[in-house]
Amino acid sequence: MDRRNFLLAAGVTGAAAASGAGFWRWLEFPTEIRSPGRQLGHLLRDRQANPPPRAHYRTDVLILGSGAAGLTAAWRLAKSGHSRFIVVGGPEPRGNLASGIAGEARYPTGAHYLPLPSRESTHIREMLEDLGIILDGAQAERPYYDERHVVHAPESRLLIDGVWHDGVLPASALPAAGSAEHQRFFSHVDELALARGSDGKRAFAMPIAASSADAQWRALDALSFAAWLEREGYRSAALRWYLDYTCRDDYGRGADQVSAYAGLHYFASRAGDARNAERGAVLTWPAGLGALADRLAQAAGLIRADRSDARPAPRLLDGTAVSLRQIRAGVEALCVTQGAGGLESYVVTARRAICAMPLHAAGRVVEAMQDFGFDPGEHLPAQAPWLVSNFVLSRFPAELPGATLAWDNIVLGSSSLGYVVSTHQDLRVGPPPRTVFTAYHALAEMSPGAAREWMTRASPAELLELASADLRTAYGWKLAACCERAEIALRGHGMAVPAPGYLSNRGLQALREADGRILFAHGDLSGYSVFEEAAWWGDRCARRISSA
Amino acid sequence: MIDRILILSVFIVASCGLAYELIAGALSSYLLGDSVLQFSSIIGCYLFAMGVGAHLSKYVRDEDVLARFVDIELLVGLLGGLSATALFLTFSWLAAPFRTTLYALVFAIGVLVGMEIPLVMRALHARSAQFSELVAKVLTFDYLGALAVSLLFPLVLAPRLGLSRTGLLFGMLNVAVGLWTIRVFRKSLPRPGAQVLRGAAVFALLGGVFLVSDRLVTWAEKGLFGDEIVHAVSTPYQRLVITRWQDDLRLYINGNLQFSSRDEHRYHEALVHPALESAPWARSVLVLGGGDGLALREVLKYPNVESVTLVDLDAEMTRLFSTSAPLTALNHGSLADPRVTVINQDAAQWIEHSEQMFDAAIVDFPDPSSFALGKLYSVPFYRLLARRVAVNGYVVVQSTSPYFAPRAYWSIVATLAEAGFRTWPYHAYVPSFGEWGFVLASLQGPFSPPQHYRIPMRFLDAEVTRGMFAFAPDMPRPAVEANRLNNQSLVHYFEQDWHRVIR
Repeated sequence: MDRRNFLLAAGVTGAAAASGAGFWRWLEFPTEIRSPGRQLGHLLRDRQANPPPRAHYRTDVLILGSGAAGLTAAWRLAKSGHSRFIVVGGPEPRGNLASGIAGEARYPTGAHYLPLPSRESTHIREMLEDLGIILDGAQAERPYYDERHVVHAPESRLLIDGVWHDGVLPASALPAAGSAEHQRFFSHVDELALARGSDGKRAFAMPIAASSADAQWRALDALSFAAWLEREGYRSAALRWYLDYTCRDDYGRGADQVSAYAGLHYFASRAGDARNAERGAVLTWPAGLGALADRLAQAAGLIRADRSDARPAPRLLDGTAVSLRQIRAGVEALCVTQGAGGLESYVVTARRAICAMPLHAAGRVVEAMQDFGFDPGEHLPAQAPWLVSNFVLSRFPAELPGATLAWDNIVLGSSSLGYVVSTHQDLRVGPPPRTVFTAYHALAEMSPGAAREWMTRASPAELLELASADLRTAYGWKLAACCERAEIALRGHGMAVPAPGYLSNRGLQALREADGRILFAHGDLSGYSVFEEAAWWGDRCARRISSA
Repeated sequence: MIDRILILSVFIVASCGLAYELIAGALSSYLLGDSVLQFSSIIGCYLFAMGVGAHLSKYVRDEDVLARFVDIELLVGLLGGLSATALFLTFSWLAAPFRTTLYALVFAIGVLVGMEIPLVMRALHARSAQFSELVAKVLTFDYLGALAVSLLFPLVLAPRLGLSRTGLLFGMLNVAVGLWTIRVFRKSLPRPGAQVLRGAAVFALLGGVFLVSDRLVTWAEKGLFGDEIVHAVSTPYQRLVITRWQDDLRLYINGNLQFSSRDEHRYHEALVHPALESAPWARSVLVLGGGDGLALREVLKYPNVESVTLVDLDAEMTRLFSTSAPLTALNHGSLADPRVTVINQDAAQWIEHSEQMFDAAIVDFPDPSSFALGKLYSVPFYRLLARRVAVNGYVVVQSTSPYFAPRAYWSIVATLAEAGFRTWPYHAYVPSFGEWGFVLASLQGPFSPPQHYRIPMRFLDAEVTRGMFAFAPDMPRPAVEANRLNNQSLVHYFEQDWHRVIR
C-alpha cells in the first residue's frame, strides 16, 4: 500500500470510527439507579447507634408506613371522623405505590394497575367511589366508572417473531392444538371463578380473607402451580409461558415456585364487572397506582389542596421507625429521618399503632415480635426482588409491524415482563411532548437472596441491559435515539411470594388477629402483594380502632 | 490529448455527482418538507457514502482501473439518472417506505461517485503524469464542475426541465463519458464490445424515460391527488396538500379529502346553521377542529355572536388558512376576525383544563380512524364538553357518513346520549363526500329544525332542513354500543364499515 492509499484508508477508517463512536455515544443516555428505602431500611438491619431524639410527638393513632395499607388506614380513619393520627412515611414513602415525574409526564416506580374490583372487594369499591373513580353503583353488580381511569383500547399486544399481535394470547398466532388447550384452560378458570366452598363463600375471592376455607380448595395450596398444570395436562408451550408470565407478573416468581392456589387465584378472583367496561378490565393512570396514593393522601387530609383549610389535620412525618414498643399508656416509636446535617431522630407516642410495613421490616422494628405469634425466622414469606425501570422518551420510537402500541406490551418467550406506556391514558390526539415506558422485570431466574446480592454488585450497564431487554427486542437502537434518560428502581424486597403452603402460615394468621395496642396491616399478611389485600388489612385495622 | 479527455470527464463526472445530490435534496424537501433537515441529511449521507466509495476504490486492481471506471459510469448513469423519477413514483404509488428508499439510493449513488475520482487519478497517474500537477488538475476540474452545476441546477435546469428530466439528463452525460472512455481506450480494455452494448442500452433507456417523463410525473401526481398541487406542507402532525383544478380548490390532510370549494358550502351550512339559527341568544361559540376557518366563516355571519374560540392542533394549518390569498378568499378571512381567538392546542387536552363557558360548540374533527382520534368521540370527552356548554346550548358534531358507515355514525349518537346529551341526528348530501352525517345535541334545551333562516343560505331552506332530520328507509339505525375508551368500538365500526365501501 503506498503512502497516498494509506492516508486515504486511514482517513476513511478514522472518519468511520469517529462517526461510529459518535453514534454510540449519541445512543447512550443517562441512567440513574435508585434503591428506594435501602439506606434507611438497612439502618434497621445494621442496628447502628441512633442519634438522640430531637422531638417528641403525641397522638392518638400512629400509622407506620405510607404504602397501600397505611394510606388506606389513614383514609378510613379520616372517613370515620378521626383527625388525631400521625403517618410516618417509612424508608420509601408510598412503598409500592411510588411514582416519578419527568416534565409533565408521570410514571410508576412501583405497581401500575388495579383490576376492576370484584363483588367481595367492598372496601375497594367504597374507596373508588370516595375518590371519584366509580361514578355510580359502587356496590352494585356492575358499577359505572369514570372511563378516563379504565384502561383505554388497545390494552395489550404480544410480540411474536418480530410482529406485534393484538391481545396477550392471540389465537391467530398460535398452533391449533395450543389454542384448544387455551380454551380448555380459560373455561376451567371461568368455572373456578364461580365455584363456592361448603361455607358458601367463593373458592377464589379477593381479598383472600373473603375466600372459602373449604379444604377441597385449600388443598390446591399443597402443590406448585407448575405441578398442577402438569397434573391437569396443560402442556402447550405458549400457554405455559403465558401462565409463568402471569406468576412472575403478579407474584415475582415463576409457576414452579408459586402455590397452585395462588396461580389460579390470579384468574378466578378477577370477576370485576362494570357497566361501561369489559370484564377483566383494569384501572390505570400515568403514575400507575401513584394516582391512587395521591387521592388517598388527599382524602385522608395528609395533603391539603386548600391551605386555608383550618380543620384539625393528621400529620405525615418523614422518616422511618427503627423501634416500636408497647408502653403502659400505649405505644412508643423511635423514628429516624435524614436531616440536612445527617440522621436525626424523634419519638412518637400514641394510644395505638398500625404497623403498616412489610414484615421483614416489622420483624426488626417491633419489640418482641414473637409475642404476637410471629417468628420471622419461621414465618417470614420469601420476598421477590424487582427491577422497575422507566425510560423517558422525547418521542415514540418507530414500531415493528403489526398491532399498534398498546398500554401493555409483552414479548413472547421473554423472561422480562414487557413494558407499559405512561401516556396511554392521556386524552390527546397529537403526540405528547414526552412519554415514559415502564419496563418490569422480576428476577425470577435467581433465588431471591442471590438476586438481591446480584443487584447490589451489578454495574449500571448490567442493570440497564437486563432492564431494557424487552425494549431492545422491540426497538433495537431506535430506543436510545428517543431516550432522554432512564431510571431503574431496585426493589430488593418487592413483594411476598405465595409459595406452596402460604395459606396455612400460622404466623401470618396470628398477626391478622392482633387487636391490642399494636395492629398489623400489609399485603404480606395475605402472603402476597396486591393493592386490594394491603388495603383490606389497612381498612380492617382502622375500622377496629374507630369502632373500639 | 488523452489527458484532456480524462480531465474533461472529471468535469462532467463531478457535475453529475453534485447534480444527483441536489436532486435528491430538492425532491425530499419538496415531498417531505423541512428543507434544512432534508438537505443536511442527504448531503451528509452522500458525502459519507463517497468516503466509503473512495475507500473501496483501493480494491480495484491496477490493470482493471479503466474497465471498472467505465462500469461505474454506466451504473451511476442508470441509478442517478432514474433516481428522481423512481423516487417520485415510490412516493405516490408504492407502499415502500419512502425515506428508506431515498437514503438507500443516495448512499448507493454516493458510493459509486466516490469511486470515480480515485479511479481517474489512478488512470492518469499510470499514464505518467506528474503527481503534483495531476492532483491540482483533477481537483480543479472537480470543483469547477461542482460550481457549474450548482448554478445551472437552480437557475436553468430545475425550472426548465424539472427534477425528473434533470436527473435523466445527467444520467445520460455519465453514460456518455463511459462510452467516450471506451472509444478512446478500447485497446486497453479487455471487453470493450460488451461494454459498448451495455452503455448503449442504458443510454437508450434513459433517453426513452426522458421522452415520457412528463407523462410519468403527471401520472404520479395524479396518483396522489388527481389535480395540480398548489401548496404542500408537512407539519409536525399531518401533511397538508391543496390542489386546484379550474375553480375547484381542495384540501387533503394525509391524503384524505377535507373539502372541495365547489360544495363545501353544503357541508358547512349543514354543520353550523341548524344549531346557531336555533340559538339567537348565543354570544360565545366554541369551534373544535376546523382550522380551515370555513365553519368559522358560517358562525361569524351571526351578529349576535360576540366571541368565538377555535381550538385546532396544527398551527401550520391555521397559519396557512389565515395568510394564503386563495384560502382567505374562501373563508372570508374568518381566522383574522377580531371576534375570533385561535388556540393551537390538542383539543382533548384543552377541554380537560379549560374553564370557559360557551353557548354553542361546533365539533369538526377528522373521522375516528385511529385510537387517538377515537378519544375525541368518547363518553369522557363528551362529558368534558358538556361542562363547557350552557345547559340550553347546542353542540353539533360532524359524525362521518350514516350511509357508508352507519354503525360508526350511530355509535357517535349513542355516545353523546350516554354522556347525558339529548340528540337530534341529521344528514346532508355533499357531492364530494356523499351522504354525510351530523349530530345535534343539547343537555336540556328543546330543539326543532329551523323553519327559516335569518341570514341568506345557498343550500339550506325550510324544506331541505326538514328533510335532513328524516332518515330514508335505506339508512336504518343499527343497534350499536357507545364508544367507550376501554374498547373504542367506534374505531372498529369505522374501520369495518368503510372497509366494506372502499375497495
